[in-house]
Amino acid sequence: MNARNRRSAAAIVLALLLLLIAPRFLERGTLNDLWSIAFAIVLASAWNILGGFAGQISIGYSAFLGIGAYTTALLSLKGVGPYWTLPLGALLGAAFSYVVGLPTFRLRGPYFTIATIGVSEAVRVYAAGVSYTGGSSGLRMPPGTFDFGRDYAAMMILAAAVVLLSLWIRSSPFGKALFAIRQDIDAAEALGIHSTRVKLVAHAVSAAIVALAGGLFAINFQYISPGSVFDFRLSLSIVLMPIVGGIGTVAGPILGAIIFSYLQIKLLSTPALRDSYLFLYGGLLMVVMLFEPRGLVGAWQRLQGLVRPPMRKAMPRA
Amino acid sequence: MSKILGVLADSLLAGGLYATMAYGLAVIYGVMRIINLAHAGFLMLGAYATLFLFTRFHIDPFVSLAVVLPAFFLIGVALYLAVVRRLPRSGATPSMESLLLLFGLWLVLQNLAYAIWGGDTQSILTGYTMKSISFGGVRVGVPLVLVFAASAMSLLVLTLFLKRTYVGKAIRAVTANRDAALISGVNADRISATAFGLGTAFAAMAGTLMSTLYAFTPDFGRSFLLKAFCIIVLGGMESAAGVALGAFVLALLENVMGAYTPIPTTFQDAISFSLLVIVLVLLPQGLPRLFTRISRPAHTR
Repeated sequence: MNARNRRSAAAIVLALLLLLIAPRFLERGTLNDLWSIAFAIVLASAWNILGGFAGQISIGYSAFLGIGAYTTALLSLKGVGPYWTLPLGALLGAAFSYVVGLPTFRLRGPYFTIATIGVSEAVRVYAAGVSYTGGSSGLRMPPGTFDFGRDYAAMMILAAAVVLLSLWIRSSPFGKALFAIRQDIDAAEALGIHSTRVKLVAHAVSAAIVALAGGLFAINFQYISPGSVFDFRLSLSIVLMPIVGGIGTVAGPILGAIIFSYLQIKLLSTPALRDSYLFLYGGLLMVVMLFEPRGLVGAWQRLQGLVRPPMRKAMPRA
Repeated sequence: MSKILGVLADSLLAGGLYATMAYGLAVIYGVMRIINLAHAGFLMLGAYATLFLFTRFHIDPFVSLAVVLPAFFLIGVALYLAVVRRLPRSGATPSMESLLLLFGLWLVLQNLAYAIWGGDTQSILTGYTMKSISFGGVRVGVPLVLVFAASAMSLLVLTLFLKRTYVGKAIRAVTANRDAALISGVNADRISATAFGLGTAFAAMAGTLMSTLYAFTPDFGRSFLLKAFCIIVLGGMESAAGVALGAFVLALLENVMGAYTPIPTTFQDAISFSLLVIVLVLLPQGLPRLFTRISRPAHTR
């Protein structure tokens, strides 16, 4: 870890401590909003490990969220303590990511992206059709499993852990392998990087984290259905947050997640805007792709470059 | 025996529609190396445009094609000039930027439909919606026959256009080898605009045809988009004949699965989506390449 990373890590730990004692001072409504923001940061940063660092854009992450949420709900209904189900959910999420990744990682770029849409749609159709997911009526968590304080603390710790993990990956040899794959997969292979294995590991790590978040989602909302956790729109917002913030950076997904959760909270409270979120998402995506594919972080760097000469050359894009 | 004939007839009829739906995607991919995710949006808007013309002016869905096709061609050309042209040029493989940009466009189109028509399920009921006719003991719905006739006609006209006209030849030239076409003096920008308009018009046409068969919502089109991908990957991405072949194969698989396996119909879409992944992974160059590989002796590969 270099000095810059150590400073960032210290800031994250400090923020975590502040957020953990926040329930003593803040209202429940604000804490709920903080929960949503932390949830979004977990999803965006986890997706960014594969989608950003390695440049493998997957639009199918709702499958992992759903697996985590359903593992927790189904086992809790069998009488297992909900927090004990989280590791199993993460394991199942990682296992499924392996099953999905093994064939699809043979595909490159947009073909991979389209295959992931196919996989997640197949999972969604399947989940809506079988009986143990509760079908369209969904599942309710057993009574007595709800404890906001606990879920809040767990979500904050998870969010901080994911960001710390991203920082560590960025400076580790594993992260360097991911960057190499994003820039030129053939060159990376020539350097001795086993690209499929590296991608599978990154996929598994990010899937496990998203599944964990899914479990916490089930505990916090006490009700899940295939329509809520396997939703295509969910996959969509998971992709949009890091892209708008700045793909492949550590700060980008956090920035994107904060903006999106703020928008979502605002949208939910204003009926006139509630029906235009797709317009907003789509419009944002188009604007980012047309004017600054590196997102807000890229725009910020460009702004800095105008003020003083760039310290080092920008990373060539894949 | 009549069951087999029925399955074959249904597959052929559905295949025609699928080919129309997939061709729009294939022509844009061929000319620009762009994967047009907004295809699903145009398909859906085509259905809604037909609904609008039907409810407001009582225009028959098949007659409305005369309005829908030129309108969406112009919309496609305008979108190309205003938005798509600004993207960095895709190389041999499509760029992520173009995929995500058009994805954003799809979302905007969906929201447009929600804003105008709301989220309720819509359908178009004409005098012949419920009618069916029989060919040698096989009963098929009248709308399906009409849809097939319209699809077949459009594909025929398209083939003639590609073979006989300058613009059609230029489209084929750019698809086959972009650089060589540019050297020969083809105006790539104009051809790209035409191809984008053509692709958009075909998407809308498929939407119009589907509106006579299925109920639809603003979310309509997503499952068909994935099927269209499946078809163009099966068909080898580039030729119109390949697209027709891929469309027939997918329709046949769906109908055979529905008729001969106990898999419930709710899972049918899951099958074609899984098929998409399987085809992408195992047959990245599609059926035509598979045939040439099989028909040629091993040492000449």
